[in-house]
Amino acid sequence: MHRYLYFPVMLAGFLMAIGCYAATDQQPTLTTEDDLGPQIQQPIEFPHYRHAGNRNTVDLTNSDPTKGGMEINCQYCHTYARRSLTAGIPPLQKCVGCHQNIPSVRDKPRIVELFKYWDAKKAIPWKKVHDLPDFVRFNHERHIKRFIEQQGRPVQEVCGYCHGQVKEMTTARRQKPITMGWCVSCHMKEHVVVVANKDGIPEGGTPLGKQAYWYTFQKPAETKNAAGELTAKGPNDCWLCHK
Amino acid sequence: MSVTNLLDNWAAVRHFHPIDDKPHDPYKWAMAIDLDACIGCNACAVACYAENNLPVVGREKFKHGQVMHWMRIERYWDEDGRDYPDQGFQFLPMMCQQCEAAPCETVCPVGATNHTQDGLNSQIYNRCIGSRYCSANCPFKVRYFNWYDYPTTENVWPAEMNYQLNPDVTVRGKGVMEKCTFCVQRLRAAEVTAKGEGRIVREGEVQTACQQSCPTGAISFGNLVDPESRVHKQWQAQQVDLDKDMQEKNQKEGGSDLRGYRILEELRSYPSVMYLERVRESAV
Repeated sequence: MHRYLYFPVMLAGFLMAIGCYAATDQQPTLTTEDDLGPQIQQPIEFPHYRHAGNRNTVDLTNSDPTKGGMEINCQYCHTYARRSLTAGIPPLQKCVGCHQNIPSVRDKPRIVELFKYWDAKKAIPWKKVHDLPDFVRFNHERHIKRFIEQQGRPVQEVCGYCHGQVKEMTTARRQKPITMGWCVSCHMKEHVVVVANKDGIPEGGTPLGKQAYWYTFQKPAETKNAAGELTAKGPNDCWLCHK
Repeated sequence: MSVTNLLDNWAAVRHFHPIDDKPHDPYKWAMAIDLDACIGCNACAVACYAENNLPVVGREKFKHGQVMHWMRIERYWDEDGRDYPDQGFQFLPMMCQQCEAAPCETVCPVGATNHTQDGLNSQIYNRCIGSRYCSANCPFKVRYFNWYDYPTTENVWPAEMNYQLNPDVTVRGKGVMEKCTFCVQRLRAAEVTAKGEGRIVREGEVQTACQQSCPTGAISFGNLVDPESRVHKQWQAQQVDLDKDMQEKNQKEGGSDLRGYRILEELRSYPSVMYLERVRESAV
């Protein structure tokens, strides 16, 4: 009996070993339970923490970059997020637009590098960090509209749902898995339906129980949670992202 | 599922019509095609090729039935005893009918084709394993299979031609099924814009590529739920109901002078495309 099993078992083990090697070789190494993406080398080590990081509240005049940021709105540079599918990379013009008026950092190595690109009239070849497969068309606009414009949540918190604590990073690094299962884990939750629009105007679609539903393109069945509040799930239509 | 369970809960298993218990609100995308206006120019088919990244397969593969025309113009000769130059014929643009009870959906082994909430029959390319069962079960034969990896096939999209590909539509690889989507990329964009502005998509705000390019305006497309939409008015004027497998006007004595009909309605797939019959010489 064992003699017959010996070869198939060895073969299966061998194939599994190859498979595991191939799998780990292709996939980015996940180092933490929060699924850190690979650290990607960018042409310029852009300090997100300096631009988007929290202000140094103790000493407002402190210009030490390690001790505070500018709290610039994410959407100031990633301006396409609120009106298109993609968040977009700002053009070089946007960097220079500010930095030509900031002489104090003009001789810092990163800024010198930045102006090299500007003088050569070349775009900076930034590399994609949150690179979804080509068949996924995640819509930034919907999420910005819902969380920031309608519910008035802080921008950095909302962006952080998917992008992690970018305000503490230099060049961005993927902190969340950004897999379909991960997306769906949020879409399958029963969220409380609330009108947070300041003018009291319900947003989108037909009102459900005198309130707007944000979530689906079809009127969902009315569901209530234990507290008696109306709840609805996110859309589960495959054709929203895959088309 | 046991037979007793099936019989006891028959109502839950078999709906007369899928929208009986869950009506479409606020969207149901539908189409009406006036065959009397259709001149068979194929502009719709060309527009579809351009909009949806369809590969042009060439003569050999066309002969093998591997052509990928989501929108095709079928030509029907009149059998009235006359020979070719005088013989009458009519055109029929044929594309996925976006059935409400789609036969393709029920047979997909991996759930790659589903019904969306706005009444479309979705095809998810990255989910598809290429069993081709859906195509076998489609009464309209409007599903097309990628027998080759067209993006890498010579002369399909030669160098620099790939810049004309639509970025909003996946370029399909080998081994997946595809079909007309009612230009879902346009629908979704319009729906998202409308939703952001707290309204529903207005009539005329979204067009399919075929509708847009039709020189005679034979194709109308819109939201069937919206009473202001042209397609709603046409369906109503022709007394064609979405949820009937046999329209009442057919049962009238001596037939009807209304022209609206749906293809293979009796199969109970409840297509979302209504055709307006051509007024024939013999009938006038």
